[in-house]
Amino acid sequence: MRRLLLLLVCLAPLAARAQEELENPGVVLAVQDRTYRMNSELMLAIGVLPLDAFTKGISGQVSYTFHFSDSFAWQIGRFLYSQNVATGLQNQLTRDFGVNPTAFPQTIWIAGSDVMWTPIYGKFAWLNSSVAHFEIYGLAGVSVANQRVSSDVAAGTTSTQFLPGADLGIGWRFYLTKSVSLRFEVMDNVLFATSGIQNIMVVNIGVAFNFGSTE
Amino acid sequence: MRADVNTRLLVLLGLLPSLALGQVQPAVPPPAAPPPQPAAAPKAAPPPPAASSPSGQTTPAPQAKPPTTGPAPTAAEAPKGPAEKAGQPLFDEALQDYFADHKETAARKLYAFIEGSPPTDENHPWAQYFLARCFIDLGLRHAGAVYLARVARERSNPQVLPRTLEALRTLILVPHDEVLIDEQVFGSLDLGFLPDSVSDYANYEQGLVDLRVGNERWANTHFTKLEEGSVEASRAKFALLVTRLRKLEGKDVPDDMIEDFLALSNDEKLTQEARNEARLAVARLRYERKDFEGALKAYDMVQLPSLDPGRATLYLEEAWTRYNLGQLRAAMGLLTTLDAPSFREEFLPDKYILRALVYRDLCHYLPAKRAAKELTRRYAESLESIRERDDLTLDTRLRAAASSHGSTKRAARFRDSLGRENELKSRYAGGFGDRLFSQTTKIYELAIAEAERVYRQRLQEAVREEADKLLRAAEQVRLMEYEVGLKLYERIKRGAKLVQPEKQTPLAEGQEAFRFDGEYWNDELRSYRVSIPSRCVDEGAL
Repeated sequence: MRRLLLLLVCLAPLAARAQEELENPGVVLAVQDRTYRMNSELMLAIGVLPLDAFTKGISGQVSYTFHFSDSFAWQIGRFLYSQNVATGLQNQLTRDFGVNPTAFPQTIWIAGSDVMWTPIYGKFAWLNSSVAHFEIYGLAGVSVANQRVSSDVAAGTTSTQFLPGADLGIGWRFYLTKSVSLRFEVMDNVLFATSGIQNIMVVNIGVAFNFGSTE
Repeated sequence: MRADVNTRLLVLLGLLPSLALGQVQPAVPPPAAPPPQPAAAPKAAPPPPAASSPSGQTTPAPQAKPPTTGPAPTAAEAPKGPAEKAGQPLFDEALQDYFADHKETAARKLYAFIEGSPPTDENHPWAQYFLARCFIDLGLRHAGAVYLARVARERSNPQVLPRTLEALRTLILVPHDEVLIDEQVFGSLDLGFLPDSVSDYANYEQGLVDLRVGNERWANTHFTKLEEGSVEASRAKFALLVTRLRKLEGKDVPDDMIEDFLALSNDEKLTQEARNEARLAVARLRYERKDFEGALKAYDMVQLPSLDPGRATLYLEEAWTRYNLGQLRAAMGLLTTLDAPSFREEFLPDKYILRALVYRDLCHYLPAKRAAKELTRRYAESLESIRERDDLTLDTRLRAAASSHGSTKRAARFRDSLGRENELKSRYAGGFGDRLFSQTTKIYELAIAEAERVYRQRLQEAVREEADKLLRAAEQVRLMEYEVGLKLYERIKRGAKLVQPEKQTPLAEGQEAFRFDGEYWNDELRSYRVSIPSRCVDEGAL
């Protein structure tokens, strides 16, 4: 008897769903033409490289992306240049504790190429008076970074190194018009150095110009 | 089992009264008449000799013939005895106040001047004109219209007339006294004395008046005087087409009439609303000729501003068209649109019938029955009122339906705007002074009483039409219930199979689908697509 009751309890939601299906059959979709479609995209961005405790990079980036479809694109090239600003930690270590960092890499520029996948396209209501559209996309690709390494800080000697790497990122695009959109993205460049793996995170905000979009 | 196809034609014919009352507005609203600068103001007139009585008391200025909204206010009706004699300095001061943006003070002085000077005074019509402008600037549009109409009818100073008529043309773009402005001013002006800027409009209005009384020949004499290619010429064509359509009374619609409406639908000189009306006219006429594909094309041509929910009748008519084309799921999508909050108060008995028909055709008999019964449930009170022979104007739904379109809507809007202006007027009690405030109060009391009377009269007729519509729909519901009841208990032969499900139309390149979960977005209202399987059995499969 208890098993029967348990079975009935389990079947109740199915029965309710069947009843609902009987009374309100069908599924309703709002099918719309996409208001915004990308084609060739040039982005100019500014950003920061926030992870290094000794220097913070203020960066500028330019990239070109070609969109094969609404969900798949190739960021053919991107180039980032970083102007590094010392945080004062190095001086503090020297002054207060008498220690110097041994190897001290600073990222100068990063170049790379990525594939872009845009699984999410959505819209939201702005103050209940207009509709705005956005996308959320992911990036994955390869990078090469140029770094200046302070091999002997006390002597002031530096050297330059090129490091290959891979990158992963996530971004959010907010459409302003059919030709102009804002992009906010966070990327992590995983660089393979002889001393080990380095993570160079870049946070960018940029303006993207779309050329040749289809209606 | 076809619900009232001919209502479309009636809807179309219903355009005529709206046209006649100036609802189809020009594409570009006429510019507001800029007030003349002081330099352009009239010269000082000599003291009005005729205004003074032998005893030295000023004779109250005789007033113009009153508008139909009631007797025009006269100085004799002012609360505190006869007005004092007014001279040129008072008029000059009033103008200074007007241009210094002290509208209340200017209005008080202008009214004192109007009361204290004879109508023969050269500045008398200017004073009335500026008083009207003060009223309009202060938000008291009807009071302004009353004084502008007086200037237009008296025409004692030809310099004031063009500005007055221009100002009146801007007032007809908002709820206004149709008798006072459309009929008594523009409908009866002596066209020979009119400046070019308004003669077209006056000819158009007078042509409409003739059309309304059924004299198309006289209307044509006015319309032929319109400048070819002008806004009024396009509007006149539209009015003539609707009138001719009305005369057909069920006869076949000639092709050229549809073509003419189609041409008007692309006429940039008409407003977007008027062009949409022309497109709807094309769609309705094609529908009546059972050219459903053509009707659908015309409905697709209707352009709505961004995020505008549009009109419920548009969606319902398109749904009927798609239903007749066998596009049951598309019709159901449009019915989903009609459930949106924007249309929740719309009076659309047909909606329930059509939904029931779609369900029935897809063999979903229980939902069909439920959809049909929804009508009698929703309008139970109204149906009860009709059966009990109650006063239908007291029924909330019928009254709202009757007031939502046509001349009743215009009357309701004008009455409401008068109410708002009447409340606004009380703010100016101090600035206007006793005499002007009392005069303004009188103008609004009379206008409100008349507007209420006109609204009630139109409401009486309109609710009867809506009640007829509801009764016809209720009759359809009974038929539907009977039909569905028979189907519901019909035996299915052994071996019968369900019909093959319809193939889902895949999303095209560049399309997005948002699953509807009960939240309506205005930008999606024309995009709903319903996926619903047919439960009909294929007898041929045996």
